[in-house]
Amino acid sequence: MTPSATLRSGPSYWWRSYLAILRWDLTGLRMVLPITVLVLSLAGAGFVLAVDLFFGQVPDKAALYVCTGVLVVTLVTIGMVLAPQLIAQQKIEKTYDFLWSLPVPRTTAAFSWVTTNLVISLPAMALALAVAMLRYDLPLHLTPMLLPAVLLVVFTGTMIGYGLAHAVSQPMVTIAISQVLIFLIIGFSPINFPADQLPGWLASVHQWLPFAPMADVIRASITVGVVPDVARSYLVLGAWAAASVTLTAVVLGRRK
Amino acid sequence: MPNSVDWTLRVNEVTKVFNNKVRANDGLSLHVEPGEVYGLLGPNGAGKTTLVKQIIGLLKPDGGSITLGPHDLVADPDAARQLCSYLPQAQMPINSFRSREAIEITGMIRGADSATVKRRCNELIEALELEEWRNTYGARLSGGVKRLIGFVMATVIPGRIVILDEPTNDVDPLRRRLLWEQVRRLGEQGVAVLLVTHNVIEAEKAVDRLAIIDQGRLLAEGTPSSMKSADRGRLRLQLKMAPGRSTPDLPPLVQEHTRVGNSLMTVINEAEAAHGIGWAQELVGLGVAEEYALGSTTLEDVYIRMTGDIEASGSVTAP
Repeated sequence: MTPSATLRSGPSYWWRSYLAILRWDLTGLRMVLPITVLVLSLAGAGFVLAVDLFFGQVPDKAALYVCTGVLVVTLVTIGMVLAPQLIAQQKIEKTYDFLWSLPVPRTTAAFSWVTTNLVISLPAMALALAVAMLRYDLPLHLTPMLLPAVLLVVFTGTMIGYGLAHAVSQPMVTIAISQVLIFLIIGFSPINFPADQLPGWLASVHQWLPFAPMADVIRASITVGVVPDVARSYLVLGAWAAASVTLTAVVLGRRK
Repeated sequence: MPNSVDWTLRVNEVTKVFNNKVRANDGLSLHVEPGEVYGLLGPNGAGKTTLVKQIIGLLKPDGGSITLGPHDLVADPDAARQLCSYLPQAQMPINSFRSREAIEITGMIRGADSATVKRRCNELIEALELEEWRNTYGARLSGGVKRLIGFVMATVIPGRIVILDEPTNDVDPLRRRLLWEQVRRLGEQGVAVLLVTHNVIEAEKAVDRLAIIDQGRLLAEGTPSSMKSADRGRLRLQLKMAPGRSTPDLPPLVQEHTRVGNSLMTVINEAEAAHGIGWAQELVGLGVAEEYALGSTTLEDVYIRMTGDIEASGSVTAP
């Protein structure tokens, strides 16, 4: 086996590397993938049903917000919470260096993570949406904009988590931040409820954070007249996507 | 790229400083030629892993250069990753992989076509006698077999240089021998092998040349024989002390001694071998020592003398 004398480059190098590293990622998660999809699906669908059980009679507006908001939660939980924890785990187990010594373009590893997160979160989102449509009499109108909205939400959420996990050198800090994030997403972000239910200052802050725009773009793609200014949400979310990609590129290109 | 390219790895005056004070590498220079098995020896914290991480593009040197053939590995970490194969000291993250899957996917990641990867995978699995674990999940492998699978992953489609960090950890003696055969094969195929290890006795048999480093600096470099040349005319007289016995008063013929646990290693002049044996027999007769052995000095003796201390607990050094 004589070693190669030439370096690989170009689009076919990128594509082949992407496929190989995606196979590596999916095989590496094989033991936990089915259970993760199941838990996330049950959590999403369960949350939709639990609200009804808890309150008995859910006002139409609240039902609409919960049913559309829970889709966002299922889409970003893996990318923003579980993925950073997995990367932190690689650092703790000292396998991080081996994975980063593999001869693939750095961007293929990032895109593989996005694909993996889509594989896990899409079934969960679809189930939550189906349960919501069956359980509640909601004025939902699925439009083709759902596809770009889902892709943008998953991409941005994954890139934020990914950039964060690589940027923070201490794995325990990464795990702590990702746990705070899940509380912030579920409890203190205008995802499952309108922003005007938050204190004024927090609602203002959320105009510039990615969570409310994520909810807006998903909600606008399946409802009519609920989201007043979706263009702004796309702009803010797009800016977060660009910023997180830049952060990831800088962090992955950095050598200490 | 023409075949006449010189694929020598050249590490030139590499310096790496952490937190503005710890000089992990301090002006290190060495070269590894194609086909050569080169040992990098040194105690914990000597700077071996730091050097390796700079070669494979994970760390950036603060000074000096690292080149492999025509490629500047410091300026082009992507080239570094393509040209270097790496077996880290930690176990591979393959718990969810069947052995052959882990090997085949790594081969694909290294850019080879499926047929070549499968052929090489089978070749190495047979050579290392790992057939019975071909379809076993990594989580169910013993430490030694997992280590060997890691070795196959690192060498299935080798780069121009293969870096092996403690490749024989946990591996049984028979398969260690098979592994060293494969390392030799890599050399025959023109691959440069950089072997990072603490295991001096094993390294002495496996390497063509070696470097001993400590505190980030190169202490010595050469073939195992040339390293031992200063010890010609000297012998090692090793005594196994009876449990609980302290080191006895040493006669003047003992030039150096080291105690690790119950093992007392002494160095004596060849001309005084008979006196040395007499002294050892006396200690055995008194019950102070249980047995003794006389032999030529080894690379380990050179290593211990150079690095100046011993890594085992309860050790004493008196040069």
